[in-house]
Amino acid sequence: MNGGEDYKAPRVPLYEGGTQYRHWRFSPEQLADTRASLNAVAVTGIRDAFEADLPGSSSQVSFLHAEEERLLVKLYVGKVTQLCGHFRFPDEVEATAMTYLKRFYLKNTVMDWHPKNVMLTALFLATKTTNHPISLDSYTARIPKTAPSDVLDLEFLVAQSLGFDFAVWHAHRALWGLWLDIQSLPDIPMDDLRRAYDTALTHVRASRLTDAEFVYTPSQIALACLFIASPALASAWLRSKSGQGGDDPALAILEPIRAMITTEGSPPNVEAVREVDRRLKLCKNPEKVPGSNAYNKRLAEKLRKADEKRLRKAEMIRKAMEDGDPFGSALAGQADLDDEDDDDE
Amino acid sequence: MDAVEKANADRQKRWLKDQKIGEGTYAVVYRGREASTGRKVAIKKIKVGQFKDGLDMSAIREVKYLRELKHQNVIELLDVFSSKTNLNLVLEFLDTELELVIKDRSLVFLPADIKAWIAMTFRGLEFCHRNWILHRDLKPNNLLISANGVLKLADFGLARDFADPGYKMTCQVITRWYRPPELLFGCRYYSTAVDIWSVGTIFAELMLRTPYLPGDTDMDQLKTIFRALGTPTEEEWPGHTKLPDYVPVGQFPKTPMRDLFTAASADCLNLLSKCLIYDPRKRISAKDALNHPYFTALPYPTHPSKLPKPAKKESTIPPEEMDGNVEFDGPGPGVKANPPNKLKRKLSSDELGSRPFARRLDFSQHM
Repeated sequence: MNGGEDYKAPRVPLYEGGTQYRHWRFSPEQLADTRASLNAVAVTGIRDAFEADLPGSSSQVSFLHAEEERLLVKLYVGKVTQLCGHFRFPDEVEATAMTYLKRFYLKNTVMDWHPKNVMLTALFLATKTTNHPISLDSYTARIPKTAPSDVLDLEFLVAQSLGFDFAVWHAHRALWGLWLDIQSLPDIPMDDLRRAYDTALTHVRASRLTDAEFVYTPSQIALACLFIASPALASAWLRSKSGQGGDDPALAILEPIRAMITTEGSPPNVEAVREVDRRLKLCKNPEKVPGSNAYNKRLAEKLRKADEKRLRKAEMIRKAMEDGDPFGSALAGQADLDDEDDDDE
Repeated sequence: MDAVEKANADRQKRWLKDQKIGEGTYAVVYRGREASTGRKVAIKKIKVGQFKDGLDMSAIREVKYLRELKHQNVIELLDVFSSKTNLNLVLEFLDTELELVIKDRSLVFLPADIKAWIAMTFRGLEFCHRNWILHRDLKPNNLLISANGVLKLADFGLARDFADPGYKMTCQVITRWYRPPELLFGCRYYSTAVDIWSVGTIFAELMLRTPYLPGDTDMDQLKTIFRALGTPTEEEWPGHTKLPDYVPVGQFPKTPMRDLFTAASADCLNLLSKCLIYDPRKRISAKDALNHPYFTALPYPTHPSKLPKPAKKESTIPPEEMDGNVEFDGPGPGVKANPPNKLKRKLSSDELGSRPFARRLDFSQHM
């Protein structure tokens, strides 16, 4: 009755129907592959740009490796926290901005777009997508050496890189659910629970510096964090859900998450990152550096294309005039002719 | 070209714009098609360049929620791409909307037809609520109807996820005639019940063929509601006099719904009254509504393909069929609800029989 018997959507859990599950979930191997090939393509492209700029110039350049790119991104993922503290943004904004930044660099290289700028845009976008909007002027006024255009210029690029998947489910929400759930279990010492929750929350925050969210679900991460804080409470909750005694199979999945958080969940060594950043100055894509030959060339190409398009349009209008109708013949056929902000290419 | 730019350009090439079918300050809507299949689509081009804060909130909300929601009774967002400073939403093409159906005096509604439309509305809404999303702008012209008669919720420009208990939300949402009393009293903590009230008023409108509670101002809206349903007592809606914007608007007696809805079945009136319960906590949920005996009692709902539809006139595709915010004219999302700028048709009581039709811009000369 609601639209044809041929419509038989398989019933999937809500989480699996969402974009996070469908577009942003990987195995650790897939992640490594994605980053390696992204890096390889970037290096090839930038090498070509160097050569186009000045033949022979790419030979002495030491490009960044995927792992080094990741290190730099991680530093700036961590800086989101500082910035959010400064603005007193809630956890939801902070976690979302960090996710955006990490997702962005599964589609882009730091050699094209420096994470310092992307971070500012990702955070600004996150304030809007999580319904905590703040005006751009008041946002940039409180960040040194940042103009509104620095943030806005990248907004489309960031949104595109995210595939316009703005909704993100976070482990801290899942942990909040556990906290509420466990309170309703019998014989739970509230002081222990409160302490465990606070500790688990610090682990959840640490997990944001890792790839955990690309590999595991928010509820898995939350439970792993609670498990680190208090194996007893985590097990009690699991038992209440599964009805199983002893070792619940779900426990097995918690171990790799725990390992990931403990080994990767702290900010990178600043000295190491500084070195990466120093090299980045020498290997960033010249096409993105205003004033360089490569940049100018690219710009000229863009202008030439726009000119061509304008000419084409003018020609169409001239033809229409000759055909005796200054407004073009059938509007339906040429509806876009007079559409000033027409942008089909 | 960067990989991301290239992916965007590829997506853009998948869709062709054919013809402008509506324009507002906020967006231009085109009829278009998928290049490879010829499938008809609607492309809503949102002009972003003009906003000094970048992508604006209603565009973000719409994209955010429609990306997540796939259901036969929710409009499908097929693709999103950007072009220069514009954001383009590719949406499934829908022929008409419930408001046009209601207004078409040549159509006769059977009780089974109304049941089908309301069932589809509740199905779409239940799915939104199950996904923790409040629509916050349900009204007949946001309920679009496909060529084969399937009704779909559209316009998620005011939608949001439910806030945690204790977290404030704006009460400036939902077009006035469909807005529940708790929002009119300034309630900042609310939930799915606000959408249910809207469905109730739409339900009534389907039976009456005219808006059920057409208030002229927010104050008048409360009066209109109380005149129809009786002034709530403290007992039926505990605490409502403590709401931030509470004002006494007079004592009106309860009149039996039966007096107005003379042809409705008992089941039908029972469900309607449960949608219009004053206390939001007691108002029926979308899920419970779907399990209400009304939907399983005879007559069974009409099959979508057999539902009444305005006669197909090539030249009268509704310019705002995409959704309301094409005409959106105010500085922020909150304002939309306040002056329902789309509802400028002021109905004085003697006009109720013949509704004016002037509010819709006539785009027919373009077609």
